Amino acid sequence: MTVGSKVKQTLAALKGSEAILRLYSLKERDKEARVIYTEAFEEISKIKIDLEKRVSYIEFEEPQYKGN
Amino acid sequence: MNSWLIILFNSILLFFLTLVVTRFMKKRNLSKVTPFEFISYVVVALIVTLISLDIIANIYFGLISLAVWSLMPIILDYASMKSKWIYNIINGKERVLIKEGKVMEDNLAKERMTGQEFLEELRSKKIFNLADAEFAVMETTGDINVSLKADKKPVTSYDLGIKVASRAEPQTVILDGNILNEGLTNSGLNRNWLKTELENKGVVLENVFIGEVDSSGDLYLDLFDDVIKVPKTQVKEMLYASIQKSQAELMTFALETKNESSKSMYLRNAEELEHVMKKLEPYLLR
Repeated sequence: MTVGSKVKQTLAALKGSEAILRLYSLKERDKEARVIYTEAFEEISKIKIDLEKRVSYIEFEEPQYKGN
Repeated sequence: MNSWLIILFNSILLFFLTLVVTRFMKKRNLSKVTPFEFISYVVVALIVTLISLDIIANIYFGLISLAVWSLMPIILDYASMKSKWIYNIINGKERVLIKEGKVMEDNLAKERMTGQEFLEELRSKKIFNLADAEFAVMETTGDINVSLKADKKPVTSYDLGIKVASRAEPQTVILDGNILNEGLTNSGLNRNWLKTELENKGVVLENVFIGEVDSSGDLYLDLFDDVIKVPKTQVKEMLYASIQKSQAELMTFALETKNESSKSMYLRNAEELEHVMKKLEPYLLR
């Protein structure tokens, strides 16, 4: 497995966590808990953007592995 | 008129009259009334009995007496709400029985309570060592309430310095196989959501005895048929595990990469994620 595909896997996992957190931030009825979920969701979104940048950079460097 | 007709008529009338009067009386646990309140209840009960059995010759005399005994407590309740002085006269004052760990024998004597009885009361509050009690007070109803010494109090999450998730109260959405609309609207959900959720769990509505939605919108079911196992929702635990895994992977990337700027990016994000995990822990792993 190349570095690129490993990073992509992590990115996918993070996206999954992000989606679930988003869901909980909407479903939760307790205000305090909702704030915590929203904050966590936003943090993970930022990390996700960083990783996406890194993935596109790796793909640029190693075009032969693009799409893996 | 036949006397049995009178009794029937009186009984029916008083049945509803008593029902109305007691609705306006204070809501109190019967074991927690002051002696005077207890007597007033008994008097009202006796008057009602006497009138309905037609033992009181003149029914109006009975009704007057009933009105006084049932209205006076209500009036006094309102008066004692307005004035502390009246409240103290009616209910008396609470009396301190243990102060700073020492038994106040004088106050015990004023309540005509022996040491034996006092210890019995303490034991009924699960205090077997007198040394554990810091403060005890006898309420006006005769109840004894005890505060333990600081180091004998049950540990709370505050004492341990652990953050616990704050939660809203659960809402009951299914009872006896019927959907309760009130619980659903209170938790901001609808019947369609409930139906899909039941379908996901593979349970029919008729088989559900109690369905409860917790603070974060997860459904908990208790079935009539206890042989069927309902899949437990473990979304939160899985989510936490998944974030933990991502964090570990970011750390690996940081170690593997030779590019300085991306190394610091991975490290920074791994730290960030760890911070997020710490915040989420009380909410996801309870």
